[in-house]
Amino acid sequence: MKSPRLIATLAAVAAVGVTLAGCSPSGASASSSDGSDKTLTVFLSADTNIQDLWQKTLIPAFENDNPGYTVKVDFDLHGAHDQQTVAKLTAATVQQKDPGYDLVDAGFVTQVAASGLLTPVTADQVPALADVPATLLQAGGNGGVPYRGSSVVLAYDTTTVPTPPKTLADLLSWIKTHPGRFTYCAPSTGGSGASFVTTVLDQSLSADDRTTLATEAAPQLESGWDAGFATLAGLNASVFQNGVYPNGNSQVLDLLASGQISMAPVWSDQFVTGVKNGQIPANIASTQISDPSFTGGASYLGIPSASPRRAGAEKLLSWVLSPAAQALIADSISGYPVIPLDKLPASVQALFPNADIANLRPGYFSANAADMNKAWAQKVPGK
Amino acid sequence: MSASPAQREARTAVRRAHPARRTAVAGFLLALPPVVVIAVFVGVPVVTALAFSVGFTGGLNSVIAAVGQNVHRADGLVPTLAAYGDVFGADDFWQNLGLTLGVTAASTLIVLALAGGIGLFLRLHGGRLARVLSAVAIVPLFIPVVIASWAILTFYSADGFVSSLFAAVGFDAPVWAFTPVAIIIGSAWTSLPFAVLMITSGLQAIPDALIEAARDAGAGTVRIVRTILVPMSAVPIVIAVTFTAIGVIGSYTVPYFTGPNAPTMLGVALANSFTSYNEPQQSIVMAFVVFVAASGIGALYVWANFRSARREGRV
Repeated sequence: MKSPRLIATLAAVAAVGVTLAGCSPSGASASSSDGSDKTLTVFLSADTNIQDLWQKTLIPAFENDNPGYTVKVDFDLHGAHDQQTVAKLTAATVQQKDPGYDLVDAGFVTQVAASGLLTPVTADQVPALADVPATLLQAGGNGGVPYRGSSVVLAYDTTTVPTPPKTLADLLSWIKTHPGRFTYCAPSTGGSGASFVTTVLDQSLSADDRTTLATEAAPQLESGWDAGFATLAGLNASVFQNGVYPNGNSQVLDLLASGQISMAPVWSDQFVTGVKNGQIPANIASTQISDPSFTGGASYLGIPSASPRRAGAEKLLSWVLSPAAQALIADSISGYPVIPLDKLPASVQALFPNADIANLRPGYFSANAADMNKAWAQKVPGK
Repeated sequence: MSASPAQREARTAVRRAHPARRTAVAGFLLALPPVVVIAVFVGVPVVTALAFSVGFTGGLNSVIAAVGQNVHRADGLVPTLAAYGDVFGADDFWQNLGLTLGVTAASTLIVLALAGGIGLFLRLHGGRLARVLSAVAIVPLFIPVVIASWAILTFYSADGFVSSLFAAVGFDAPVWAFTPVAIIIGSAWTSLPFAVLMITSGLQAIPDALIEAARDAGAGTVRIVRTILVPMSAVPIVIAVTFTAIGVIGSYTVPYFTGPNAPTMLGVALANSFTSYNEPQQSIVMAFVVFVAASGIGALYVWANFRSARREGRV
């Protein structure tokens, strides 16, 4: 009689334990505070190159410049859990609990900025903001601070494409005359594809409408996308394998590197890094088109308003915008600096001879981009 | 030791009554873990999801409702079906559903044919080749689905093995990467091991005597398969079919990697809707469609279990 009762008791205890354990999956990460303002946590939702940027470059340099500070990283690869992270951050803010991190580097920063989950930051707290172009700051919304830029460029195979297209119209006609040699990733799976789609949609929009779509949720303007989506659907027969749009930026780079396609929109920083480490062969070059150009933009940082370590977070943020940190970002991942180039060393200025950081054409505001992804899936592939 | 017969009898009676109650409590406690875990981790989310899909955005659903786009809210206590309208009103949903059901049916048939073939070969013929075949069919069990999907994609891509082989002898091979064919190949590949294990063991359990008696009475192989082997292993076959179909209908990795952008399977479509389009309510509606379709298949499984239980006199 004894052992079944023992087993039953253990089983009941285990059930309660499992249930409770499941309720707090991130219990450990939520308790990084320990009371001091000098232990900070940065939440990263990005690819491994950004993880390396923070862990191997920025954080050691910051800790070196600011003795006594310790910075940890909470990393979510490819932003696989972005929706859950946003939900947890929302819940933490509503309940006024410590979210467990003090600075966020993620694609959703502008989204949570719009929801009012970030601490508004001005040049009073972070003096370096005065150097950052106003348009970039404005696109970040309430509390999103740009800290590095990148843009989408047109990569092409120099052996099959001697003279690359110079404008979007040239590019569209090149795609039609060279069936099967171009593709872009589905916009929901990668920013390079989203940029191509945005650029084609923008072709038939007024400059005012483009600005509105880039800065605020504007569902009333989305009917203006129809002409652009018709153009994109018209390309299906000329795209790789009669309309295959791979998943993610890197699949497109693979197709380009293996010679299955001759041209594609790619991220500038991924391209430069790929060339540097040999993943992209020497016969692939890149260029920018005009009228309109591909979009680009800044990556944003934000301080969650629920974080109790605001002063420390602002210190880190100010440091990231300093010329020294901006030069580190340019060196390690070819990220465009967001402060004027003349404040940076000559070697960094030489990296970006033509980059006009202030005039990177911004992509859509996150809510509009989500709608664009959905509309693209309904109106373009297989139509 | 020195108890009188009457005392002993009384004590026995008490012990008999007491253990019965105790066993009941112990039994309940033993059954508690799965019940609690299912109630908390499956039951509660299903109920809140259902409430969210018809517009009840308060309470546990308030965070997701605050974050999501195009969320429809119920008017007081009157549920709204607007999210269902959004999903069912879009053409691409019906194309996705069609593809999902088509891929599920095709993969299940292929798996059934392959697993049944291997099982019958092993049962009727035996020998080394049959044993090797049944062992090879289990291999996919030990290869992660992501790796397998990627391998299938590159194998059938325009610069893959198949194309290269055909090109070497001057033919053009069909390119199956990013098509429904690749999804079917991938789904069949990942589902095969379980079906083979299930069906082979079901067929192996049938006594030799039955088959030999039928042979002696002049029955051919086809007749033995049709009237003895298939009916006697009906339950494992039904289980293999239902598990394969339910696994394929809700699959994500294989269609995400190997399939076309549109139409796509509902597993991918609802993940897109949730993460890329930030429409949690519409995503839950699609999840319920998959759930309804899977319950239809699940009913088959329950029926098979019930049938075998009745045959063995347990019901």
